[in-house]
Amino acid sequence: MDSRIGKLYPTTKFMITLLVVIISIFTPGYVLQYIMFPAFLIISLMAGTTKQFLNAFFKSIFIIILFIFAMQVFIITNEDQTPIWGFIHFSQAGLATSLSMTSKITAIASAIMTFFETTKVKDITYALEYAGTPRKVTFLISSTIQLIPQMSSLSKTITDAQKSRGIETEGGLMTRIKAFVPMLGPLVLSSIQQTEERVLALESRAFSAKGKKTSIYVLHKTGLDIVLEVLSVILLMGYVVWRVM
Amino acid sequence: MAEIILKNVNYQYPLEEKEVVCDFTYCFEQGKVYGLIGENESGKTTLCNIIRGFIPELYRGKLEGEILINGRKISSYDSGELASIVGYSFQNPFVQISGVKDNVYEEIAYGMENIGVPREQMIKRVDELVKMFHLEELVDKNPYELSGGQKQRVALASMIALDPEVVIMDEPTSQLDPKSTEDIFEIVNILKKQGKTIILIEHKIDLVAEYCDSILLMHQGELVMHGDAKDVLTDPKVLEYGGQLPQIVLYFLKQGKLKGNEIPLTVKEAVEKILKEAQR
Repeated sequence: MDSRIGKLYPTTKFMITLLVVIISIFTPGYVLQYIMFPAFLIISLMAGTTKQFLNAFFKSIFIIILFIFAMQVFIITNEDQTPIWGFIHFSQAGLATSLSMTSKITAIASAIMTFFETTKVKDITYALEYAGTPRKVTFLISSTIQLIPQMSSLSKTITDAQKSRGIETEGGLMTRIKAFVPMLGPLVLSSIQQTEERVLALESRAFSAKGKKTSIYVLHKTGLDIVLEVLSVILLMGYVVWRVM
Repeated sequence: MAEIILKNVNYQYPLEEKEVVCDFTYCFEQGKVYGLIGENESGKTTLCNIIRGFIPELYRGKLEGEILINGRKISSYDSGELASIVGYSFQNPFVQISGVKDNVYEEIAYGMENIGVPREQMIKRVDELVKMFHLEELVDKNPYELSGGQKQRVALASMIALDPEVVIMDEPTSQLDPKSTEDIFEIVNILKKQGKTIILIEHKIDLVAEYCDSILLMHQGELVMHGDAKDVLTDPKVLEYGGQLPQIVLYFLKQGKLKGNEIPLTVKEAVEKILKEAQR
């Protein structure tokens, strides 16, 4: 995230992402969309986030793509299907549909994933706040992000507490499932209970004070940001004109 | 300035039948350090919540009586305004983290961001606080990953950052080792010199004796004893109400030679006294 791409202003990255999403949706065919995957792979290589990018892609998007292909080509009934075995058949039309569907998914997912991998949440909330989003909204975003590691450590504490009272939490799949359910109750309840204390903590920091808020963390737009933003607006306008004409 | 007046304050938590604070009348003057002592469940924290305005704003229940801060009714302040007048640090350090900042430096600045302090001023103030609370090594850490004592120090610093006129500290040293405890009391001294009113709930009675000007002793929701530290903490009646007396005082009381204010409160005073007598 400390790379050159990571240091771009969030809005810049968001505009580029949006541009890619729009172009991917409205361009027919699938070649351009599939090119987006290696393109963003190169971008994440430059940003130093290749590992996360590939990891996230193959763990989620790739599985969805495979599933779509399997369903569309072999299972869903189409007019041009040629039977293979039982309910499995091959369909050319299904192949075409899945190509156009998966290519769009690949392109959009690559763009959005790269955006979030190269942008700190802190930067996003800063940019949102700077653009005039109320503090309550940005609080919601950043506290949710902070909540995840906090919840997992809380669940660890609960598991440890239960373990020390003799509940088996390790072992086979069934033992683990059995141990998981009784952990949920305390986890949810204590999280709810914590909100009261959280309110007090925030109130003592003048959370509900009226008036303009400031930020000790700052981000500046550089020349590169402005060039890229202008460029993506021009590209978008050019694209719209080209598609409509 | 910064005067808190409570008149016949009664409070009952929702769904409870007993009054947690009953008929509390007191006037906190500016620039003094008040030690609020008493056994558990004697209403100390509830009282602080009342002074801070969390009762009745966040907790419902029945609140009677009058609370004036700087001559203005507490209900006429809005909550954001009150945060920069009355600072409150809680008993439990684990819940005092805002949960939106990923490092201690920004965590300390969070309150100031909310009231709109300009950035340069914020940086200056945070740097000051980091030095004052010895947080240099923690500034880049995630507030969630700190130990209890570290969190407590960060929480105190973040509260002081708003520069409140009244500072309420609810057992600020409950998680701290002796060295950090001393540090906190040093900060109490610094704040006192800045003319702030400090209300301190604390069970470490020897430190209370050393640093507090006035003592309020609560018992079952009532203010049973109050006055100068010297008067209250040498009175054996404190023990009847479930309070505690400094070790030194207990010693001299048992010895029975000295009475009332003559009894030294701290080790330092005791040593001076004994040396003086020896010289005679």
